[in-house]
Amino acid sequence: MPDEEDLNLLERARGGDRQAFGVFVRRHQQLVRRSVRAIVDSDADADDTAQDTFVQVWRALGTDGADKRGASTVRAWLLTIARRAAWRKHRRHVGEPRFTESLDAPGDGGDEGASHAIDAASVVDWGSLGEAAGWGQNPEARAALAEQRARVQAAMARLGAEEREVLTLRDVLGLSGPEAAAALGVGLAAEKSRLHRARLALLGALGAVDVTAVEVLS
Amino acid sequence: MKGERNIGGLWCHEVLAGLTLFMDGDLVGDDLDAVKVHVSGCDTCARFGGAFARAVSALRASPADHDEEDDDFAVGVLDALDP
Repeated sequence: MPDEEDLNLLERARGGDRQAFGVFVRRHQQLVRRSVRAIVDSDADADDTAQDTFVQVWRALGTDGADKRGASTVRAWLLTIARRAAWRKHRRHVGEPRFTESLDAPGDGGDEGASHAIDAASVVDWGSLGEAAGWGQNPEARAALAEQRARVQAAMARLGAEEREVLTLRDVLGLSGPEAAAALGVGLAAEKSRLHRARLALLGALGAVDVTAVEVLS
Repeated sequence: MKGERNIGGLWCHEVLAGLTLFMDGDLVGDDLDAVKVHVSGCDTCARFGGAFARAVSALRASPADHDEEDDDFAVGVLDALDP
């Protein structure tokens, strides 16, 4: 059982086993990153928040241990800590100016960068790169999938953070209703209601409803 | 909602309210049957339900920004732990 493995890792970590804690982090880093990214404003903030989350978990092990405060699963407990950290980060950023361009973005290396690219050309695995880019697959299907993904991401960006959060937990990360409810700190009925509202908001953001349906159902 | 109908004992707004339960398999028995009867006789709910299901399916199929393994992240966490 995955939860038993997590509990075992946390118990070893509680005894000071950093290697075991590292395994725990690797098992859950994507889950935590993706859940907090639904709330915070950037990938960089998501990375910072995810790191803060695991540091808090480590510190919690030294105090209340692995009792999980009544959470249904280790994942729910972990996500509860993560969302608190994410909302703190989100609130701190409200009203702050947002800079989306990095001052030292990759690709600004001028001639030096171009020289490295040419040097690397002789050792590039072109076969792997080509397959990763879609070689040998149906280009129309890949293009349609890419377009769908872009539309979904754009629609998610238009939603509120609470809506993105519940959609991410349930439909992107695949948590069960009880797990998501525990992570959100609400009852199962409230979680289902929030999920339904968020799904409807997503549908609206996607523009997937034709005019007739909107007129009748609004 | 203007123009809604009662089919199979359910109004359109009741079907709309139950779409998430329907999609997640939480509707059973008579409740499930009533929704199926309504949708089979109501073009509006059938189209809206289809669009709703496609939107959720598209979200479930969408990738994360960070899907690759990043060992540097775990190393960074371990470095940040208290001594």
